[in-house]
Amino acid sequence: MAQRILALTVSTFRETVRDRIFYLVGVFGFVMLLSTAVLSPLTVGAQGKIMTDVGLAAMSIFGLLVVVFVGSSMVRKEVEKGTILTIMSKPVGRREYLVGKYLGLNLTLLCMLVVMGLMFLLMTFLAPGTFSLRFVPVIYLTLLELMLVNAVAVFFSTCVSPILAAVFTLGAFVVGHLSQSIKDFGTLQGSVFQQRVSETVYYLMPNLEVFNVRGDVVHGMTVDAGHVGLATLYSLGWVGLLLIFAGAIFARKELR
Amino acid sequence: MQSDARWMVSMHDMVSITPGKTPAAEVHPPAAATLASPATPHRETGTQRENPVPDTPLARQTALRVQGLGKTFRSGFLRRRDGGVQDVSFTVPEGSVFALLGHNGAGKTTTINSILDLIHPDSGTVEIFGVNHRRQEARRQVGYLPERPYFFEHLTGRELLGLYADLLEIPAVEKNECIDQVLERTRMAEAAGRRLRKYSKGMLQRIGLAQALLGDPRLLILDEPMSGLDPLGRREVRHLLQELKAQGKTIILSSHIVPDVEMLADTVGILRQGRMVHVGTLAEATGGGTYQVRIAGGTDQSGYQVLTAHGVDALREVLDRCGAEGLPVLGVEAGSGILEDLFVKAHESQEAR
Repeated sequence: MAQRILALTVSTFRETVRDRIFYLVGVFGFVMLLSTAVLSPLTVGAQGKIMTDVGLAAMSIFGLLVVVFVGSSMVRKEVEKGTILTIMSKPVGRREYLVGKYLGLNLTLLCMLVVMGLMFLLMTFLAPGTFSLRFVPVIYLTLLELMLVNAVAVFFSTCVSPILAAVFTLGAFVVGHLSQSIKDFGTLQGSVFQQRVSETVYYLMPNLEVFNVRGDVVHGMTVDAGHVGLATLYSLGWVGLLLIFAGAIFARKELR
Repeated sequence: MQSDARWMVSMHDMVSITPGKTPAAEVHPPAAATLASPATPHRETGTQRENPVPDTPLARQTALRVQGLGKTFRSGFLRRRDGGVQDVSFTVPEGSVFALLGHNGAGKTTTINSILDLIHPDSGTVEIFGVNHRRQEARRQVGYLPERPYFFEHLTGRELLGLYADLLEIPAVEKNECIDQVLERTRMAEAAGRRLRKYSKGMLQRIGLAQALLGDPRLLILDEPMSGLDPLGRREVRHLLQELKAQGKTIILSSHIVPDVEMLADTVGILRQGRMVHVGTLAEATGGGTYQVRIAGGTDQSGYQVLTAHGVDALREVLDRCGAEGLPVLGVEAGSGILEDLFVKAHESQEAR
């Protein structure tokens, strides 16, 4: 089983990397240079903050682009093109296939974040007084967030069309970052119904703000190791749950 | 029938055979498929999936058993019936070639996809070498080529085969050798380092065949294996399939190109509108086939005359008479179009009902 999942992971990674995904890394470098050369001089005394803020946010956004555009259509595209037929005619389980594809895209995201992270650290190293290893946990938490959103994309890609899956994934990302605010909003409204609805949304959707420590770190705070550990468990828990549901749906799917 | 086959082999010494045409009796071994009685339809259950693998001699001899297979597709808001198959039953013994014939949309691909558990049948049972088709290990013995093979276009041919070798859990030490073998066999060795996006349609078909042959499967399921190939490519694939057949592989192929099937199949199943309207050996269906015997002499300018014999017995009689009367036999040709006639007849009889 491990050999089959690994084979699918590696082939998915190769396929996505060769599909010009890494052009995005080049765009990231351009954004970093732009933030340093154009935006930083506009701010007095906060040049480093602008650069780090833009850089860390760009990493998350570029990762999200990959997940939305590749992850959301990954399974459905293979069914429509028929690439899945020969794979599933071998002794491969449907869940193995799904996990292999998911891990393959995760590997792509990991490589992207490593390259972008190194570029980011290099830029901070070149800007006086900006470099800090405090940024490493931020990049790691971004990876955990993207892993979770990727699982959301894979889940939707097993049950709806690629466009809908992309829209739903993007929606889950936005709601995931607003879920705490939605809960607070419902509580403040006073109506029991609104309170129940906002609580339901809060508990049904992953809270992606758990992974967002960019603001704190840019302003000089360090990320607590306990928080990183809990965020890891939180991400893995959601990923597991989503893949179980996706596997159950995919096992019943007609591949034609 | 067996004695007829032996007799035809001995005829090679006596008469010349037209190249590319092989006498039917030589091509077709004894009864290869039987029309199974329709089974009571039932759904696959989890319990069935856990059945132990039968190890009876019968299970070992039967490569594929399809019983009462039914699948209905529905589409639109009113969920109207949109194709599928009904009550399809047939059995394929190991070592034979079974051809699924039918027009486009007759249900050939649905039958094949159901066998491979790519789609879930509504009713019926399918066993591959005695193992329920829903079990993962049932597919370990199967090589499959879909109708329009399409693969990861950014991988090279070798990388793609590497993926399939890993999916088959071929040990790392044997992997490269296995890949080289199938690349050679499908004449794709030179193009193996190129990415699949640069492959022509024919090359995709070949690499598709290569992945189907990986792991030396006992059962090959080929959906329209000749489609997309030029005449030369078709001939090569046909020769490859004949070679595989000679090695004792069981082959199930679907096609709507009758002459291809005629040259390869021992048994045919004709599908029409999702129903199996005929299953049987070619010999059973055609009464042994039609042969044309060319004899030297004759009245016209060609210098020879042609006698037509229907069936092997009639052919034997014609040749005996030629021998007795001292007429030199220039050649014997297996008549073409036998299966085509059967195909048309099956469709006409179904239409008449």
